[in-house]
Amino acid sequence: MSAPQDLAAEAVARAKKAGADEAQAAAARTSYFEIDYSSRRASLARSVDSLRIDLTVFRAGKRGSASLTGARGADLDEAVAAALAAAEAGVPDPANGVAEGFDSLATDYGPERPDRAAMSAAMTEFGAALAEQHPKIVTDGALYAFTDAETGFANSRGLRHVTRRGVHSFGLMFAARDAGRTTSFNHTGWQRFEPCADLLASGSLRRLLDEAALSLDTKPAPQKFVGDLILTPDAADTLIGPLAGALSGHALFAGTSPFKDKRGALVAPPCFSLLNRPRGATFAGGADFDSYGAPTQDLDVIRGGVLNEFLVDFFMARKLERPQTAGAQNFVVPGGDKALSDIVAGVKRGVLLARFSGGIPNSALDFAGVAKNSFYIEDGEIRGALSETMVSGNLQELLRQIYAVSRETVDFGSCRYPYIATSGALISPAP
Amino acid sequence: MLPQLAAKAQASGVETALRWHANETVSMTMRQGVLLANQRARSSGISARVFRNGAFGFAALPDDSADALDRALRRAAENAELAPRAGAQPLAPAAPGRGLFDYRRTDARKFTAAERVELFRTLDAAIAAKYPDLVTRDLNLTLFCSEKALATSGGAETFSAVPRVIFHVSLALEAKDGIVDLYDAMGGFGEIEDHLADVDSLLARIDALYDDLRRKAEGAFCEAGPQDVVLDSNVAGILAHEAVGHTCEADLVLAGSIAGDRLGQRVASEKITLGDFGGRGPDGRSSFAIHVDDEGTPCADTLLIEKGVLKTFMHNRDTAQRLGAAPAGNARAFAFSDEPLIRMRNTCILPGDDPLDDMIGAIEHGYYFRRATNGQADLTGEFMFGVNCGREIRNGKLGRALRDTTISGVAFDMLKSVTHVGPTLSWSPSGWCGKKQPITVGMGGPAIKCRVHVGGRS
Repeated sequence: MSAPQDLAAEAVARAKKAGADEAQAAAARTSYFEIDYSSRRASLARSVDSLRIDLTVFRAGKRGSASLTGARGADLDEAVAAALAAAEAGVPDPANGVAEGFDSLATDYGPERPDRAAMSAAMTEFGAALAEQHPKIVTDGALYAFTDAETGFANSRGLRHVTRRGVHSFGLMFAARDAGRTTSFNHTGWQRFEPCADLLASGSLRRLLDEAALSLDTKPAPQKFVGDLILTPDAADTLIGPLAGALSGHALFAGTSPFKDKRGALVAPPCFSLLNRPRGATFAGGADFDSYGAPTQDLDVIRGGVLNEFLVDFFMARKLERPQTAGAQNFVVPGGDKALSDIVAGVKRGVLLARFSGGIPNSALDFAGVAKNSFYIEDGEIRGALSETMVSGNLQELLRQIYAVSRETVDFGSCRYPYIATSGALISPAP
Repeated sequence: MLPQLAAKAQASGVETALRWHANETVSMTMRQGVLLANQRARSSGISARVFRNGAFGFAALPDDSADALDRALRRAAENAELAPRAGAQPLAPAAPGRGLFDYRRTDARKFTAAERVELFRTLDAAIAAKYPDLVTRDLNLTLFCSEKALATSGGAETFSAVPRVIFHVSLALEAKDGIVDLYDAMGGFGEIEDHLADVDSLLARIDALYDDLRRKAEGAFCEAGPQDVVLDSNVAGILAHEAVGHTCEADLVLAGSIAGDRLGQRVASEKITLGDFGGRGPDGRSSFAIHVDDEGTPCADTLLIEKGVLKTFMHNRDTAQRLGAAPAGNARAFAFSDEPLIRMRNTCILPGDDPLDDMIGAIEHGYYFRRATNGQADLTGEFMFGVNCGREIRNGKLGRALRDTTISGVAFDMLKSVTHVGPTLSWSPSGWCGKKQPITVGMGGPAIKCRVHVGGRS
C-alpha cells in the first residue's frame, strides 16, 4: 500500500495531467481505536482504519477542491474531475495558488500503536474507581482513544511534507445524581502522546467531579447584578474561541472584526496575553504545516494586553496582501502570579463560570447564555452552586476588563489555559 | 452491495449489523463576491458491528470489497472481546426492517457546477447592487446526501439515499454601536433543483432578510429575566429538539436525565403533544426522511408527550432491553466510520388551533422570537438556544426589532406555561444535531406562547 506522501504526489500528478495549472494534495492514513465505557449501557470497542485524500486544483486563477476516502485509481480520477469541474466553473482570484519556498518537513511524534489491552484495563479501572470514589457521579460513557495519523502533503511546485502523530485522547461527559436530583452535565477531555494509566487523576477531572457533587444543591443568585466572572480553564474557550474568530483574516476581509483598526493598541490589560503555539512540545493536538503546506509558526497574538498581530492564513494573507501569520490554532494564555483562591478572595460579587451554554456571539461579540456547573461568589467566598442563571454582555468589553489570570493552568493537549477573571457581566437569576 | 452484506450478516453466527455507507457533500461559500470554497467531498466505506456477551465491537474500513467485509467482521469480533463489561444483557428483539428508499431525483435535469457558481454570482451581484450599505454579504450552499445499505443477522435488509439542501444568506450592516448581522436558512429536503431554481423567489427572501436586518440595526436589546414570549413556528422546532427531545433520549435517561423519573406524569400543558416521527414526519414535509434505522429496526412514530403527559423515551435495542421498552428505530450513525447512537429523527410539537394574532394580543410586555440559531440541552431539562431575530411586544402589539439574545428555561416548567399552540406546522430546512457525531434531523412545530428566561443588557 502506498505511503501517504506518495499518494499525495500521485493525486497532484493526476491533476496536472488532467489539465490543472497547479495542484496540491494531502493524504492522511489514520488508525483509530477507542474504548467507550459505560456501566449503564453496553460498552463499545471501536476501530476505524481510514485513508482520506484532499485535493485542490487551480486553473486560470480559479480554484476547485474534492476529497475522497480510499485510494482506488478510478475514485481518485473521479475526484480530480470533480475538482477541475469546480475550478472551471469558479471565480478567478489572484489570491488563488499553491505555496512555494518552504523547506520540506518530516516529523514524527508519539507511539505508533496503542496497547489495546492496557487501554481496556485502564477504562475498567477508571469505572471501578469512579464508582468507589465518586458514587454520586453518573456518566454517559467515558471515551479513551488512540489515533495514529500519518499525513503526507505535496504540491505542484515540489513542496513535500510528511508527519505522523500517535495521540491518546480522553473525554468524559458526566453529572451528579442523588435522591432524584440531577446536576447539569459537564464534560472535559484532553489529548497527549503518552498513554495514561490513571485516567481519574488526569487533567481537570477530579476537581470537576468534586464540583459536580457539590452542585446537587443549587440556589439562584440573590438578584440581577453586574459583577465578575472567573472563567475556569475548561470554560476559557467561551472567550478565546469567539476572540480568535474576530481576530481572523476572514473577519478582516469581511470588515466585521471589531478589532480591525486596533493592531498595536491595548485591547486587554497587561496581565493578559494570547499566544498561538501550534508547535508546542506538549500539544499532541498541534500541527507542523497547514492545509496549503505552509509550516505553522508560533505567534504572540496579544502580548501584555497589546494586539500584536491578527491570525491570517495562507489564502487571506494573499487576499489582504499582508504576511501569513497563522495556519493552525493552538492557544496558550500564560498563567499569572495569583492563586485561584486569592483571585476568589478579591471578588465582591460574581460567578465562577465552569461552562457556558449560550448562543453563538455575533460579530460585535455580544453574548448571552446560561452559566452551567457554576458557583456564586460573594465577599471573597464561594457561596454555593448556582441554579439556572443567565449571563450576558460583550466579549470585547470582558477582554478589556480582565483583571487577573491564575497561577494554575490546565494543559488540554491542544491548548493551555488558566482561570481568567474579568468584570462587567450582567448576571440574571431565573425566578 | 446489499445481497453481499446480507449473505455475510446471515453467515456471521452472532448478532451482527453490516453497513455500506457513503456521505457526499458539495459545498460553496462566497463572501463579497470571492469564492472561498467550491468543493465536493465523498466519504465512504463499510462497517461491522458485533454484539457479544453484553458488549459491542465495531470496525470500519474505507473499502467495500468482500475481503474488507471479512476483515471488518473479524476486527469487530476482536473488539467486542476488548470492550469492558458491566452486566451482560441481550438486545431487545426488533422486527427486521426492509425496503428501498431512494429520494434522489431521477430526471436528467441537474444543476451543473457552472450553474451553481452562476447562481451565486447572480445573487451576489444583485445584493451588492441593491444594498451598497452592507458591510459584508455571505452565501453558503451545502448539498448533502447520505446513502446507506444495511443488513443484519436478524434479517433486516434496506437501502436509503436521502438528499438535503441548505442555503444560507448572511448580511451585515454597520449600526451606530457596531456591526449587526443576520442570516436566513433556506432549502430543505431534496436537491438543489427542488429549492434554488427560482432566482426571483430567492431574491424576495433576501429582500425580506435585508429589511429585518435594517430594523434590527435600529433595534433594542432585550430586558434580561423571565418574560412572556411567542415563539414563531420557525423557533418551535429547536424547542422541541433541545428542550424535550434530548431529555427523552434513553441513553441520557440512563445517565441521569430528569425525565427518567417522570414517565406517566404531567410535564406540560394539555395543549402540548410532542413526538418523534419516522418517514418525513406526521405531515410528510420534514427536511429529513428515515424508514429503517442503523440497527435494522423499522421506524415507528413515537409520542413522547401526549396532551401534556410524558409517555415514553427514544431507544436503541440496548436501552430498550434495559428499560423494558420496544425500540422504534432511533439508532443512527452519521458516517461509515460511526457506530449507531440514539438520535432524534423528525421531532415536533403537533399543531393546535390558536391564531398567532391571539398569542401576540395576549401579551402585555414580552417578545416575539422569529428565528433561532444554535441550542443545547441538559440532563436537568434546562435548555437554551440563541435568537437572532424578533420583535418586542407591548400591550398586545408588535414593537421595536430586537438584537441577538439567548433564551433558556427548564423544559417541563416551560411547557406547563404554554397557553397557546398555533395551527401551522413548519419544519426547519437545516436541522443538525451534535452528540459524539453530527447528524441530520428534522425539527418542527407551530408557534406557541409560553414563558422563558431571556438574556439581555439591562
